[in-house]
Amino acid sequence: MKAGPFSGALGALIIGTACIAGAQTQTVTYSVTAINVIAFLGSPSVSVTTATAGSQPTSNTDASTGTWAVTTNQTGSKISGSIASAMPTGLTLSADLAAPSGATSAGFLALGTVAVDLVTGITKLAQGSLAASYKLDATAAAGVVSSATKVVTYTITGGT
Amino acid sequence: MEGWVIRCRRTFLLAGILLLPGSRMPGQVLTVSGNPAALNITTAVAGSQPTAVSNNSTTYTVLVVLSSHITAQLGSNTPVGVTLTINLAAPTGATSAGPVALDATARNVVNNITNVLPQTRSITYQLSALASAGVISSRMATVTLTVVTGP
Repeated sequence: MKAGPFSGALGALIIGTACIAGAQTQTVTYSVTAINVIAFLGSPSVSVTTATAGSQPTSNTDASTGTWAVTTNQTGSKISGSIASAMPTGLTLSADLAAPSGATSAGFLALGTVAVDLVTGITKLAQGSLAASYKLDATAAAGVVSSATKVVTYTITGGT
Repeated sequence: MEGWVIRCRRTFLLAGILLLPGSRMPGQVLTVSGNPAALNITTAVAGSQPTAVSNNSTTYTVLVVLSSHITAQLGSNTPVGVTLTINLAAPTGATSAGPVALDATARNVVNNITNVLPQTRSITYQLSALASAGVISSRMATVTLTVVTGP
């Protein structure tokens, strides 16, 4: 076999490229903005139906129907709750949100048109399946109240 | 004589390929089409980690003389809880490592590259972050792609 004049040059070139590396760069710009999101599931129902004789009607609690979830990447976020219109006189609707890890729940707080802080100190977490409990209290003076619906508005306020 | 002519043609073809613009070193050519648009994580599904974002708008072009692979690495690590992955689609006959988390160590992203003619394939970046990573102001990461001889 007769080698052409370029074969030797090619061989040298290939040998010379062994273990040689070529490189290129790309610049990737990225960021993570403040994220504060909540979600509530379920449609809880509470009804006052009985009393102990001599006492105010017995409050009723639904602690199993509602759940909530939260994701925040900030420190010290909080959840507040309110209702659009006041409850009838003698009736009190309260909410209690279970606290995610490291946060603090205020326990049952009466809901009104002014938002109340239900959970505070929520810091950099993503957690779901947290209990959202509701309680209805009624005084005898409230009388009979037919079924009604209240929309509870929850708001997450970012921390720092 | 005919065989010699064929060998000469191959030689000129190869020499021409090796002198393509963009080649950092003779024998291997790697170019990229530019920088991807900014990757910004802005939302999450409540109860889940922030929603990852991706970009596949850029490409790379590669050709080699000897079997080679491509590595990728960052100039410096991403913040704790933040992951930047890269996924290079493989040229014909090569094998992509799939999504590879980038850090300051060179990681193989495409292996067994053997194509002597240029092939252009996509580059996909994905940014993910844990809620625990917090807020990350805009920053730039330099990704270095390197062709290394060897499968």
